[in-house]
Parts: sequence; structure tokens; C-alpha cells
Amino acid sequence: MARNKYSPHQGSLVPFDRDFFSSAHRFTYIGKGELGGKAHGLAEIKGVIESGIIDRFSPDISVTIPTLTVITTEYFDLFMKQNDLYDIAYSGQSDDLIAHAFQNAHMPVQIVGDLRALVQQVHTPLAVRSSSMLEDAMFEPFASVYGTKMIPNNQPDVDSRFRKLVEAVKYVYASTFFKAAGNYMKATHHSTLDEKMAVIIQEVVGSRWGERFYPQVSGVVRSYNFYPFGNASPEDGVVDLALGLGRMIVDEGVAWSYSPSFPKACPPFNSVSDMLKNTQTRFWAVNMQAPEAYNPIDEIEYMEKFDLAAAEYDGSLAFIASTFDSQDGRISAGIGVKGPRVIDFAPILKSRMIPLNELLETLLKTSEDRLGTRVEIEFAVRLDRKECSPAEFGFLQIRPMVVAEAEVDLSHDDLRADNVLAASETVLGNGVLDTVKDIVFVDPERFDVSRSREIAEELEKFNETLVGSNRPYLLIGFGRWGTSDPSCGIPVAFDQISGAKVIIESSLPNLTFQLSQGSHFFHNVTSFKIFYFSLHHRGEYDVNWEWLKKQKVVSATEHLKHVELASALTAKVDGRNGRGVIYYEKEE
Amino acid sequence: MTDKSFNPFEMAQTQFDSIADKLDLDEGTRELLRYNQREYHVSIPVRMDDGTVKVFRGFRVQHNDSRGPAKGGIRFHPMETINTVRALAMWMTWKCAVVDIPLGGAKGGVICDPHNLSAREQEGICRGWIRQLSRDLGPLNDVPAPDVMTTPQHMLWMLDEFETIRGSKLPGFITGKPVGMGGSMGRTEATGYGVIFNVREALKELKIPPADTTASIQGFGNVAQYAIELYNQIWGKVVCVSCWDQKDQISYSFKKLDGIDLVELKGITDRFGGIDKKKAEKSGYEILPGDAWIEQEVDILIPAALENQITGENVGRISDKVKIIAEGANGPTTPDADKEISSRKIFMIPDLLANAGGVTCSYFEQVQCNMNYFWEKDEVLGKLDTKITNAFNAVNGLAKSKKLYMRDAAYVIAVGRVVEACRERGWV
Repeated sequence: MARNKYSPHQGSLVPFDRDFFSSAHRFTYIGKGELGGKAHGLAEIKGVIESGIIDRFSPDISVTIPTLTVITTEYFDLFMKQNDLYDIAYSGQSDDLIAHAFQNAHMPVQIVGDLRALVQQVHTPLAVRSSSMLEDAMFEPFASVYGTKMIPNNQPDVDSRFRKLVEAVKYVYASTFFKAAGNYMKATHHSTLDEKMAVIIQEVVGSRWGERFYPQVSGVVRSYNFYPFGNASPEDGVVDLALGLGRMIVDEGVAWSYSPSFPKACPPFNSVSDMLKNTQTRFWAVNMQAPEAYNPIDEIEYMEKFDLAAAEYDGSLAFIASTFDSQDGRISAGIGVKGPRVIDFAPILKSRMIPLNELLETLLKTSEDRLGTRVEIEFAVRLDRKECSPAEFGFLQIRPMVVAEAEVDLSHDDLRADNVLAASETVLGNGVLDTVKDIVFVDPERFDVSRSREIAEELEKFNETLVGSNRPYLLIGFGRWGTSDPSCGIPVAFDQISGAKVIIESSLPNLTFQLSQGSHFFHNVTSFKIFYFSLHHRGEYDVNWEWLKKQKVVSATEHLKHVELASALTAKVDGRNGRGVIYYEKEE
Repeated sequence: MTDKSFNPFEMAQTQFDSIADKLDLDEGTRELLRYNQREYHVSIPVRMDDGTVKVFRGFRVQHNDSRGPAKGGIRFHPMETINTVRALAMWMTWKCAVVDIPLGGAKGGVICDPHNLSAREQEGICRGWIRQLSRDLGPLNDVPAPDVMTTPQHMLWMLDEFETIRGSKLPGFITGKPVGMGGSMGRTEATGYGVIFNVREALKELKIPPADTTASIQGFGNVAQYAIELYNQIWGKVVCVSCWDQKDQISYSFKKLDGIDLVELKGITDRFGGIDKKKAEKSGYEILPGDAWIEQEVDILIPAALENQITGENVGRISDKVKIIAEGANGPTTPDADKEISSRKIFMIPDLLANAGGVTCSYFEQVQCNMNYFWEKDEVLGKLDTKITNAFNAVNGLAKSKKLYMRDAAYVIAVGRVVEACRERGWV
């Protein structure tokens, strides 16, 4: 969907009047330029919130866009021009050198007064976020491409707070030209020459707990799920929740995932011990103390990861955790008893202490209608410390979810083409992958489930070699990958197969257990966007063993073979119906 | 320079008297503040390049130091008078008070024309002025700064002489030094930017977008140039500037309805701030008499040259379109012109507020020098903006609540603060 550049002057937003919290307006802008993508999204959603459609969740949950002001792109242009920064920006120098050059530059005079006035009255943490023009013009998600800096903003003197805010804005400006952004531009066939950056300065939703400031819940809700499980369908969407700042979800992929249609359903963990192993054990917070080292070009200068024990000490787990009771081997909601904690948000999702899931469903639906596309929403929730409610739901970002561009149409005929290596109608993932030239497979003629532990060890060595030489590979094996029971399949841990981008699990006549469908590695499969094919030996589709046997084996162990192809395979998955196929290059 | 019949000090006293009435000050307080606390007249002998000795007359006036060390520039001008210096010293007291910086008011001057003096001769005047006054100046007593026709180089000569006499390093003695030699980032821009910070706030008050406005400016020196720079950056358009032509010894106005090009004009400006008429004409500028700047059909007038420029005689030429006058210069409006401006409901940003950016940044420089730790430009200009904006809001707030003319409101705040300091010290 194309849309025009969004200027604040076209909307109902008002200029920043040097009152951040006390002003009647909580969403303001500075300058005459554009708002950029993220700010544009929030401006759109402001209408949703003001429409009253979510008033029914009050007083349990109050929904707001946390107070923010946007430095429009006008000042990015001025900053670049007045300081002659374009040469260094496009020099291809390291991120650090570019960031240093930006730190040494001066902010345009028109804005320093506004920034100083802002920190004069605000003493709580601020998030300084990018809001880029291309994101807006392209209407594409640029998640994590540009910098976001959190600052505690609690220094007693205004000068220090001002300096840290200015450093953060300069850092976000510099991140426009970092390697990651450049690579993303190349990949999306755009140029950083077209890019301009607006900056959002926004209050951080959360509470202070001693040296830490964080929300009890942060989350991402998407209206489409390429990795549905259980009874959920892709259209049901998916919610990821985590304790602390959202960085844990967005950058590290650690979260409690569930379908909004089935909030009480657990993610497909293989066992309770699997759940304990995969639950969130650390969380991100704003460090309210002096950082270990002064480093304005470090995005996480004031962010720190803490152990779950710190959250328990803070008293922030009460409404988001459950406890494993080793006596009866069960997990019970809350932290009333001693035992390992599981961050499963059961008090909220199962006991419905606040109607968070209903709110998310409403917001998702309303936002989709408003923006006319599938969306991805980032949010944070501050719970009442004692009663859970009233809770404050902070709407942080809304991004378009470009499902259409990632759509892959696969017909039954496509799955039966003459150059198919493997096909299935039970595949996790979505999109096209055409970078895999290596195949590691369990030799079907030598497979012996009783020796599955040895196979796992052999596999680890192949994985090490291939990861070391940066070669993603297709992994083919039998039974349940990652099972804890060696008689059901190959009991690997994810780090033993971490280089696999496409995984096939197949049943055999003598090994007919229910296939895992990726459940053992579900979090890794979703985080690393792995295509996971499940094939039943009596099913309509199978691995093309004949073709595979003809390929040159470059190394082999007792149970495994490694094939290196001259041309890359093409794996395609249609996430809407779980259909997938892997093609090999036809010989001329 | 000023009209000989015009006495700026009388004008300053008249302004003060009017405020004293409003504040209902007692006679003793009036007597104290109507005159200067101290006044120095010095003779400075300088050996000229031709071998002769010439004696230059100089002054230093300290009007009031109840709020802190006196602060004020030193002017070199062939037509300098003690009354001008007296008036300017008094205005410095009010200016420091209105932006609430802990300084008193002073001013200095030497009767000389730097255009006709070699660098060595100018250095002789600078060092001689300090030799005469060093016992009464200093970072804790009286802190000079550049002013009309004095430069950072002059300040360095004065500092060097002062430190030599005192036998120690005292960079906080004088402000307006070059950056890297104890000067502050942002000092050069401070006065001009300060004018526009005020204009910006006034436009907000009048609910006029800066992009919809035009301005005419008297002067093309440092203050005017930086004011134009920032005004352009907030999307305003300057259509006329005037400047002094050293060769012709008169001033001219340069008009371009599409908006003057600051970079272009700076490129054809001599070291005295005079714009090359021929080149300007070639670039499409209309060359008009020096006083034409005042009659332009613009929204904003910025007198940023000298005192006594908007008078009873020419105030009637101000267009009905003008909504704001921002006094970039000191004392550019005479009291009779002021009455007319007030009656026409033009939004006046008085000199003590409009051009206070310079002294505010000088104060920042002094602070930085005294602690020998220098701030980044962002920090200096950020502080400057908020200081000036706060001062504007205070003055505008009082003007609205008490239905006062902006100049009167500024004086009420400034004089009130100085009176308070004098009272607390037990002087009155």
C-alpha cells in the first residue's frame, strides 16, 4: 500500500510548547519537516484511542500513547548540512567512527532550547527512537534497523540530562548511516541517500524499582502468524509477551507466545522441563544508576540485562509468573510457593486479572481497519504494584505487516514439479529462501533409532564446520527432532543444529510417532525464521531420495552424509496454508 | 553616531523615572539608581606609528553592582560621549536583571576611530585603558566585553595587560575572547540569535507563523547577520537591510522583495560591515537611502545598529503592516517615538530584553572561565534559548496581566530586582 509523506501540519498534532507532561497535548512535534514512519503510525493510532472504542477497558486498563514529541526531519537536514556530515556519513567508515563524528557535531540552534526546556521539567526515563522517512514512504517495517536509545534522565542537574538527551538524538541520527541500515537498504533496493530521520522523544512506560526502571509487561502483537500452532490459524495473529523492556522480544526473540484466539493455550513445549528451559530468565531494564562506562555511541549505554531473581526481589513477578512445583511436577499460576518461576503471564492470561488479551484483540482489529493493512503493534504495560489493575497500557509503535509482499502462492502442482527435492503440506514459516547449497542428511539406509544419540553427536560436528564457514544448510532426519526420548527421534539440542535454515523431519515405517512439527525448537524456529517441513512416509509427498543419492557426497560419518551442491536450492513456503516445497536446480 | 542634541543618559533617566513612579520608589532609591555608582575618566597616551604621542580620552562607568560584578562592553568610537556611556551602563544593569543573571551594569568607551588606527596603535589604546583602570576592574568587580568597533583581539590585548599587572591568569576578567583562548562557543551568535528567540516567542504570542512574516533590519553587523541567519532558519524572510558605508560616510538600505540572500551579501561586505553597492545592484538589490529600512511594508522591524534611530520625526513612517519591533541595538527608540509605537499597539521587544543574548552568553563565558571548563555549543545555545525565552515569558506575562507596554513591563521586572538587591544589602 502506498501512502504519502506525512507532515504534522496536515494533522491534528500541535507544536511542542515546552511543556512535556503538563501540556494539554501529549503528542507534539518540533519543526516543519516530516514525522517519519513510526511517528506517523502513532499519529494514526491517536485517532483510534481518541475514538472511545477502548474506553470499555477502563478503569482496568487505561490506554495511552506515552507522552512524546517528534523532532521532524527538518532538523535532521539542518544538522547534516550545518555540520558537513554527509561526507563521513557516506564514507563507509565503521559505525563507531560515524557515531563519533555525529557526537562532535552541533545540534541546530532552533532546537536546543526546546530540548533543554524538555529536560528541565522531565526527570523520568526517556526513549529516543528513530522515525525514518523511508519507513513512511515505503510503508515497510524497519524494525531494529535504526538506533533507539534509552536514557534514565534522572541526573540531578539539568545540564547532565540535556547532554545525555542531545547525545541520544545524535546517536539516532548517526544510526541512519550505520552498516546495518546500509545493508537493509541494499536488500530492499533503496539508498540511504533518500533517507531522512525524524526522532521521537518519548516517556518510557514502566516503574522504578531501585536501580531499575522497566514495565512489568512488554509485548508485540501481530495480526498474522507464520508459525501457528495447535488450533490457531495464521489469521488469528500472535502475541509475544516478556518481562521488562521489549528489546528481549524484538532483538533476542525470547517471549511467551500465544494466539489471541487461544490465550490460555501454552506454546508447544515438549515437556515441563522444556518450558522451564525456555522460559524467560533475564530481562532488560533502564539502568537508573551511572553506567559502567561513559559511551554515548553505545545503544545500550543505559540499558542492562538482569536476572529474574532481580525482578522477584523488586516484587514485579506477582502478576506475570507461575511456579513449578517439583512435588507434583505441575506449574501453578502466581508466585505463592517456592520453586522455579516461569514467565507465562498466567495471572493475566488465564486468571484474567486484567482484560489484556481482549484489549489486544480490539486494538489489532481497530488498527487494521484504520491502516487498511495487517499490523504489528509494540506496547508496554505498567501494572499496579499491589492490585494489578488499574494498569497503564502504553502504545509504543505500530508498523505495517507486509504479508502481501512475503506471500508465496504454492499450488498442488507446484509441489509435484519434476525438480522437487521435498514437499509437504505441514510446514512452518513463510517466504522464499535461495541461499542453501549444503545438505546434511541422515542416511536412510543406515538409520537406527537406537543409535540416535550418536547421530546427534555426529551432527554437532557437521554443524560446527558449516556454521564456522558461514554455510546455511538443509537438514534431513527421521523421527522427532529435539525429542528428549531417543527412541522417538534424534535428541539434539538446538545449538547442535543451529546452522540449519531448512529442517525436514520424516517418519519411517518403523518410526511412526507423531512428528514434532517443530515444537521442540519452536522458539528458535520462529526467531531464526527457519522453514520446518514435516513429512509422513505414507503421505502424498516424500524426500526425493533418488536424486539425493546421485549428488556428490563431500564428507560422511557412520550415519550422516554431507552433500554440497553447485547451485543453491530454492525453498518456498506459503505460510497461509502451511504448504512448502524445496526445488533443486535442473541440469541443463 | 548620535545626534549631538540627543542625550541618551537623559532618556535613560526619563525611562527610569517613569518606572520608579510605577514601582512607587522612595526618593533615596531613586537617587541611587538615577545615577551611576562610579564613573572613571581616563587619559590614555599612545605613541603613534609616526612617532608622536596622542592622548585618547576614555571612560568606564559602573552604574550598579548590587546584584553582582558589573558587566558591560567597551566601545571605540570617534563620537563617543560620557552621556552615551552613562546611559548604556544603566541599561546594562536593567538588562542583566531582566534576564536574571547575577551581574550589575557597566559600560566603557574610548574616543577614537579604529578605522584610522594601525593594529599596534589600537593595541596601545587597549593596554593603556587597562593600565588606567585595572585597580577598579576584575572578574569579581567589573568585567568588560567587546562592543561597538571592539573585537576579540582587543579583548585579548586587554586581558594580557590585566593578567600582567595582576601577575596571575584571570580569564574570567573579560569576555568576548576568541574560542580556544577562553572564549565561549556560541558567543558570536548569541546577540543575534537572542533577538530572534524573542521574535519567535512574540510571533507565538500573536499567533503568526514565522513563515508568513517578513522583516526589515537596520544594520548588517554581527547582531544583524546572526539575527537574519536564525530568522531565515525559522522560515522568515528579510526583505531589507541597511548598513553604514565607510567610504561615503552615510548609510544605505538594500532591498529585495524576494528576500535578501545572507550568504551573498556577506560575500560582498567589507570588514566594517558595509555592503558593496555596485555588486548588490548587480545581484538585483534596490539601493535606497539609509533610513528607508524603517518604512518597509513588513511585519517585523529590527533596529540593530545604533541608539536614537526611531524618533518622533520618523516614527510616522513605520508601515501599518508592522506588528513587531525588536530592538537589536541599545536605545534605538526615543521616548516620544515609543509613545507612538505603544499607541499603535505594535508589539515592542525592548532592547534590554531583545539584545540580552549577548550579555547572557558573556555571563556563560565568565562562568566557564572561572571554572576553566568549557561547554559544547549545544549546551551554551540551549541555556541561552531557555534563559531568553523565560525572560520573554516573564515580561510578556507581566505586560498582559498588568496591561503594561512591553518596555515598561521589562523595566518593572528589572528595576524591581535591582531595588530588591539594594534593599537586601541595606543600601536603601
